[in-house]
Amino acid sequence: MKKLLNKTLRTFAVYSLIVLAASVPAYYYLVDGIWLSELDENNEIIAGRTEIGLNRLNLSDTMLAESIILWNKIQPGTSLRKASAITAYPDSTYTVLRQNPYATHKDIDRFRGLVRLIHINNTPYYLTVETNVEETEETVAAIAIVTLLFFLILVMGFLLLNRRLSARLWKPFRGTLSKLKTFNLNNQMPIVFDKSDTLEFEELNRALSKLLDHNISVYKTQKEFTENASHELQTPLAIIKNKLDVLLQKETVTDRQYQIIEEINRALTRITRINKNLLLLAKIENHQFDSSELTRFDTLLLQCMDGLQEHVKEKNINIGTDIQPGVEVKGNSGLTEVLINNFLINAIRHSPPGDAIVVKLSNSVFEVANPGKQELHPDALFTRFSRLSANNSGSGLGLSIVGEICRVHNWKAAYSFENNRHIFSVAF
Amino acid sequence: MKILIIEDEEELAKSIAEYLSEESYLCEFAANYDQALDKIELYHYDCILLDIMLPDGNGINLLKAMKKLDKQDGVIIISAKNALEDKITGLQIGADDYLTKPFHLSELAARIYSVIRRKQFSNANIVIQNELQINLPAKTVSVNDSVIALTRKEFDLLIYFIGNKNRVISKSTLAEHLSGDFADMLDNHDFVYAHVKNLKKKLNEAGCDNYLKTVYGTGYKWEG
Repeated sequence: MKKLLNKTLRTFAVYSLIVLAASVPAYYYLVDGIWLSELDENNEIIAGRTEIGLNRLNLSDTMLAESIILWNKIQPGTSLRKASAITAYPDSTYTVLRQNPYATHKDIDRFRGLVRLIHINNTPYYLTVETNVEETEETVAAIAIVTLLFFLILVMGFLLLNRRLSARLWKPFRGTLSKLKTFNLNNQMPIVFDKSDTLEFEELNRALSKLLDHNISVYKTQKEFTENASHELQTPLAIIKNKLDVLLQKETVTDRQYQIIEEINRALTRITRINKNLLLLAKIENHQFDSSELTRFDTLLLQCMDGLQEHVKEKNINIGTDIQPGVEVKGNSGLTEVLINNFLINAIRHSPPGDAIVVKLSNSVFEVANPGKQELHPDALFTRFSRLSANNSGSGLGLSIVGEICRVHNWKAAYSFENNRHIFSVAF
Repeated sequence: MKILIIEDEEELAKSIAEYLSEESYLCEFAANYDQALDKIELYHYDCILLDIMLPDGNGINLLKAMKKLDKQDGVIIISAKNALEDKITGLQIGADDYLTKPFHLSELAARIYSVIRRKQFSNANIVIQNELQINLPAKTVSVNDSVIALTRKEFDLLIYFIGNKNRVISKSTLAEHLSGDFADMLDNHDFVYAHVKNLKKKLNEAGCDNYLKTVYGTGYKWEG
């Protein structure tokens, strides 16, 4: 992942590179054009001065011819030759590349020349003036180097500005983000964002606040609904239960009717159980339990095992224990008891008669293992109403309560399947 | 025996009254705080069943008012809330027992029986049915003056039956009473049979008449 500003930086860098690269030929043509027109002007002046100068000397024809020979020998960059009437043509300018005849180096130089028809003593002559011009590649190279330099300065400037801008401009955004990261719907604590003078961030904060407030209120309503619904159900359930009790006392009840009442009773017990568990879940989620007390886990475990003893005996189940004494955990004792009971009852319920359950407790982990034929689906285990066995009489909430208890205590509930044994564990 | 049922849910109050009236209980009703307070101030009740969620006031306040009036009536709180704090507050202020809705009427009857017995003088704390004698505070049972050893569960079961004399108690109701929260989680209710069988055997061996009858195959009824 790249930072947002770095992404824009790249685009800006590429764009400035293109613009600067395009400026290189533009600058070249500009500089070269100025060069040439200046030199043409310069050549014109020299040619003009030469014509006037030579005419002022009032030389005789022979002296002139000698002088021209001399001139051609010593005047660099200029030459005079006689023009014939036939070859007479108007002034012209040209650019030529050739080696400098006097230079020791072998480089090719560029010259700007002017051929001009002048009249000395009324005889037409061609005067050629040549001046050295900077070569094309040298001009281009120089411009390119300067451009590159500016490009580097630009990019460095971008980087520097970027760093400073991202620190300053994005500060409110980072603040918002870090606050959002700490948000937990379970705590239902609304976030107060810092005020920002940036329109977009302020808008973002306002939208987020609205969203969070809405979420919190929906979450609250949902939880309150569960709690209220469970409460409201208690009374009608009580009425049904009590009416059945009254019905059972009637002398005219037949055996079959008694069986039906019993079946209703059993279903009613299940609804009651589900209702109570939903209420318990809602209460745990609402943090209505103090989880800061110190609880003797081993004592509770032994108590729970004692309470279930008759059911263990009834199924002829053998419980093997490895319980370390003096295990103390930080957690609500009532909830811890619920957790232990849920684990033990699950193990007893799902073990075939005559089999063995193993209960282990150490300072760091509590573990209950019971025999099984195939692995259960680990993802669905701790979710509500995800029954994994054909045995349908449970409330379907036992393990999700365990999961929720672990969540409020920061414990970790886990399941594994080894050597044909289901192993449920809680790590403190 | 006079019972005051303070409950705003009429159907519930009616069922409770119907179940209890077959025993020697006389039931009166109060559907709200003011009615209840009027009756408590004027009369004496052996036991008051108090729903703490009343439409016009918290039942806990009613308990406080009773304490101010120095009333000694036994009180059983009936609540849809299973909150531990409510339970503790209720019992601290002077309630004798706390029952969470929904409950079986046999459970309520057994609790009422215990509360009334506890409130009475010590000589009445001994239940006598022919050859059978039950000392409630000492939790001992004797048949023809010889003490028989019962486990805690068996004694509890016996009191439950005595508190529901001549009433049919189904197996599932007993299972709920005996194992409380676990009843439905362990689908096997055979442990009920085992406890009842042991109790019956001990009583019979000591020479007690067979008061505990099996009805409808799996239900029970204590006759007396």
